[in-house]
Amino acid sequence: MVSEERRSEILKNLSDGVVEYEEDRVKEYANIAVDEELDAYDAIMNGLAAGMEIVGDLYDRQEYFVPEILMCADALYAGLDILKPRLKIDGSTGVKGQVVIGTVQGDVHDIGKNLIKMMFDVGGFTVHDLGRDVPLEKFAEEQLRTDAEIVALSAMMTTTMMGMKKVIAMIKEKNPDVAIMLGGAPVTKDVANLFGADGYAESAGNAVQEAIKMIGQLRKLKEHGVPA
Amino acid sequence: MAAMTPKERVKKFMKREPVDTMPIFSGMGMVTVQAINKMGIRFAEVHGSADYLAGSATCSSDIFGFDSVIVPYDMCTIPEAMGRGCSTYANAEGILYPTVPTKWENLDAADINTDWASKARMPVVEEALKKLISEGKYGVGGWVLGPFTLGGQVIELDLLLKGIKKDAEKVHAFMKKMTAVVIHVAKRYQALGIDYITIREMGSGTDLLSPRMWKQLIQPYLREIFEALESPKVLHICGGTDLIVEMMNDCGADALSFDQKNNLVETRKKIGNDVILLGNFDPYGTLCQKEASEVPAVIKGCINAGVDAVWPGCDIWPDVKQENVEAWVNTVRELGKKATPAVGRL
Repeated sequence: MVSEERRSEILKNLSDGVVEYEEDRVKEYANIAVDEELDAYDAIMNGLAAGMEIVGDLYDRQEYFVPEILMCADALYAGLDILKPRLKIDGSTGVKGQVVIGTVQGDVHDIGKNLIKMMFDVGGFTVHDLGRDVPLEKFAEEQLRTDAEIVALSAMMTTTMMGMKKVIAMIKEKNPDVAIMLGGAPVTKDVANLFGADGYAESAGNAVQEAIKMIGQLRKLKEHGVPA
Repeated sequence: MAAMTPKERVKKFMKREPVDTMPIFSGMGMVTVQAINKMGIRFAEVHGSADYLAGSATCSSDIFGFDSVIVPYDMCTIPEAMGRGCSTYANAEGILYPTVPTKWENLDAADINTDWASKARMPVVEEALKKLISEGKYGVGGWVLGPFTLGGQVIELDLLLKGIKKDAEKVHAFMKKMTAVVIHVAKRYQALGIDYITIREMGSGTDLLSPRMWKQLIQPYLREIFEALESPKVLHICGGTDLIVEMMNDCGADALSFDQKNNLVETRKKIGNDVILLGNFDPYGTLCQKEASEVPAVIKGCINAGVDAVWPGCDIWPDVKQENVEAWVNTVRELGKKATPAVGRL
């Protein structure tokens, strides 16, 4: 068991390493966290994810742009690769659910989707990444195959965004309980509502919070049944 | 005095000579489903045939009264000629633009074949341009992606973006290669006799890159391109551009084009009245989603903000509402008779 002082030092180095996109430093402190038996979930959420939250603020303030975010994401994954296998697979700290994610057909832009995927990884979800330019019916097939609670669709262009509406209809027809989340540059809350989605991710950080909220609602529905 | 022909209007406008009225044209795709349907073809078929490309461009302008025609419609012609392939979505429901299915895995793997300029659909596009030029009815535009955006078509964009931080020398070497390609294609189009060329460095806005990085990574290569090309030449960038307007204006283009994110009033103040300003309505929102009655206000907003011609912020999404395009054209015809900051009237 590490002391509070040592814990703070490790978490700060993990966070700073992500912010400063220092992969080696993140790896070093992720290994230290493992060696010194710091709880892996604590290291991920209060070290790596905390760093990414700062990165999000820097992006909002236009101090960081996409190249910096991608470098920070690499640093985060360097730590996650070491820490994630150490997660306890239980409801409180580990796997929260499954998500199918992909960029819809006609759209080969996947930087945004990959950042959202990263946040699901950090959040402990099992992620089924279909990649980009995904045929619309593939989302419904993969959801049925994996029984994922969430399907997350990304579109970078207004014109490919229209494909999302078709995917939502296909999935809901086969399994109305699946929560569907939309994200991407042209997607707004109004579009998500209009298309019949259950959630809308304004940013990578907000995606996981939304997803957790949606899963909570789904579990309640399963326990108590759909209200009349 | 007799009205100018569409071609005369576009040519004179681009030289900043007085015109009778504001031309209705664009430096990006203007094909419409109305034309595609009239020809009895599918959108996926149009990209591979010089006859279909030229025919659909002319037919769109005939239907709506545009002053120019422009081809190609997709961004895959050069990547395809370099062996990266092209997905046309022949069996997909509705309209999808072609995309590049395979990219080089890293900067070292980017090995450009020597005969790319004569491969795949490169001759098809040139043949279509020749047809349009020989018809002589409309102003003829050509476009080429800028080196960064073209690079993002043939290599994973995140590799390029991270590479700038990790191995800038290698990224600059790659940008030099892409710049040479852009110049080569644009010069070939100009040699055919097109009336204007647009360099679309669409992916380089400040949504992705900081202004500082834009100055280091984008501006030197755009300067090289515009220095190599003859006038009239247009620079178009999508997305966030307010922070890089002055640098864009310092690249050597005769005209600047922006999408709907740009603050045109501020831009006009920054660039002065000696540069043609083009923009900037949201093509999908305005022509596909809005009611036709809402369109005139959008077009009027662009004119009042100080544009010399009202350009869509990107390619027109082909599945336009006919009445919305008519509202765009009619509003420009009505309000475009007055001189604009950079172009006078007869």
